[in-house]
Amino acid sequence: MSMDFSGTVSKGRKRKRGRSWTLLVPIYIFTLLFVFLPLIYMVYLSFMTKAEVWGFENRFTLENYKKILDPLYLRTFLNSLKLALISTLVNTAVGYPYGYFMAKLEKKKRDIMLLLVMIPFWTSELIRLNGWIIVFRSKGVLNLILEKAGLIDKPLKLLYNYQMVVFGMIYALLPFMILCVYSSVEKMDWKLVEAARDLGGNAAQAFLTVTLPMTMPGLLSGVVLTFIPSMGLFFVADLLGGNKIVLVGNVIQQQLTKGRNLPFAAALSVVLMILTSLFIAAYRRITKTDQLEGLI
Amino acid sequence: MNKRLIAAAVFAACVIGTTGAVTAEELPDISGTTLNLYTWDGMFPQEVLDGFTEKYGVKIQYSNFDYDEDMLARLETNGASEYDVVIADDYILKMVNDEGLSEELDKSKIPNYDNQNEAFMSLFYDPENKYNVVYGVGIPLIVYDPSLIDIEISSFEDLWDESLADNVAIIGNYRVIDGFTLKTLGESFNTEDVDKIREAGEKLVTLAPNIRAINDTNTQDLLLSGEVGAAFMYTSQVTLALRTNPELVAVYPSEGLGIGTMAQFIPKNAPNKEAAYAFINYLLEPEVAAKCFDSDEFGYYCTNKPAEEFISEENRQYVVLPDDITWESGEAIQTISDEANEAHMEVWAEFQAACGA
Repeated sequence: MSMDFSGTVSKGRKRKRGRSWTLLVPIYIFTLLFVFLPLIYMVYLSFMTKAEVWGFENRFTLENYKKILDPLYLRTFLNSLKLALISTLVNTAVGYPYGYFMAKLEKKKRDIMLLLVMIPFWTSELIRLNGWIIVFRSKGVLNLILEKAGLIDKPLKLLYNYQMVVFGMIYALLPFMILCVYSSVEKMDWKLVEAARDLGGNAAQAFLTVTLPMTMPGLLSGVVLTFIPSMGLFFVADLLGGNKIVLVGNVIQQQLTKGRNLPFAAALSVVLMILTSLFIAAYRRITKTDQLEGLI
Repeated sequence: MNKRLIAAAVFAACVIGTTGAVTAEELPDISGTTLNLYTWDGMFPQEVLDGFTEKYGVKIQYSNFDYDEDMLARLETNGASEYDVVIADDYILKMVNDEGLSEELDKSKIPNYDNQNEAFMSLFYDPENKYNVVYGVGIPLIVYDPSLIDIEISSFEDLWDESLADNVAIIGNYRVIDGFTLKTLGESFNTEDVDKIREAGEKLVTLAPNIRAINDTNTQDLLLSGEVGAAFMYTSQVTLALRTNPELVAVYPSEGLGIGTMAQFIPKNAPNKEAAYAFINYLLEPEVAAKCFDSDEFGYYCTNKPAEEFISEENRQYVVLPDDITWESGEAIQTISDEANEAHMEVWAEFQAACGA
């Protein structure tokens, strides 16, 4: 992942590249072996025919892509896009101010906040999601508190619905947005904001004309890192949606396992990648951001 | 005191010596070899595996697969030469036998052969009992918590009852779920009639409002934690649920059951066939079979008749098949045509979408 997001870092060193290209060889080999070749294989696989029991046959077909046009799968794509958009919007609305204000805190407080954002990563995401199940289930912590407080008289059914999946996505991905925004706000030259204010701009104008454009790369990384996984994190939909909310990620996973249809899963993945690339491209075009924040 | 101890030791040595000699006469010497066992994880209590190693001096190399199809693929690619004993599901056994990947059994090497429950012999995958020895049976059932629902469930049809809104959990096995809908329409689990499958699909969609969660792995937890009032789940989960909460009621749905059989076979080119025969015979010993089914984690129906009396009173109610449950009350889920299977997948996807809507 690192090379995709290192645009800003490597820019200054571009001129030296001629001399130190040997240092980049491992990265190129790594990219070739673990990114490029698997990608080619996946595209190849997506045009092959499913074997009867397991695997695939080397027979060219367009069937896999035709199948995606089935309203059933189109609907899944639409649902996934919708969920990814909601999750990205909420993550931006919460994560941007969070990262922004965190970066402006004094160092000690900032470090504590940063630690608090990072700590959840020390535990497996699956375990954390199961933790939420314990909180939200019928005889769970939340229902118990509400019942004891006399606010409800029978347990609320909180789990296994769309809202819960949205919640899970936001929960799982918010830290990425916060960290991306934080890293770009932290690097910002505040003198520019001061200059804007000195030249007569009010706080809102200064933010819109200076801060926001300057932190756009961070925001864009955040969007990339929250939007794309939102379409693919099948286990969030499995665990918190009770397998009822079907995302593209779930369909791919099902086709790989129970469906035993590797070529179709590959075709779905290819379409998913094209779609997300288009969305990111559109986002970059609209916001006129050509760089990603080199955070991760 | 000392003398007695010595006498006891000598006696013990004699006994061990003689039994050792008898075993050596009856069976070819397989001690020091390795048995390659290939099946799902957690099929045997450690005690049973250790017992075999102790008795025959054969080390067991236990490899796992998650899906039957993985097993078949593995056998196909390595020419059935890697494993000695495999346990898998009925429908895949048919493919294994049809493809000639299994060894025709020499029954003289399995003295305990007749301990198998006859009801689970001569099945569709091995009508002449040439290749397989049955290991256990699973029948997904409906289990409900009477304190959480207002009706008494006796059939699949009851799951559609309006009072169960958002209160039912089911396993995510499309052939089983689509299949029980077919059953409510008086059709077979294995119908090849695509129109009937689609008709069942339309009915299945109307079940969606009652479905709280679709879960393959821990379905019993949803019932035990009070998240749902009723659940349709695999035998092992049914047993686990009933053991944990005896207040729960298990229902053998009146429309008919889906009966799944697990059986053993020796791959065609198994490296250690003698050990394989010894192992199959060992598992058929009533005491050993009883240990397999009398464990807290397992929980399938025992298919070894003489073993039933060795199963503890407490577990007998869960793992010994009731006498009135026979093949007349159910059928096996078999492989169907690609076209019919495709229809099933679509029906299932529509249903899942309806559940999430």
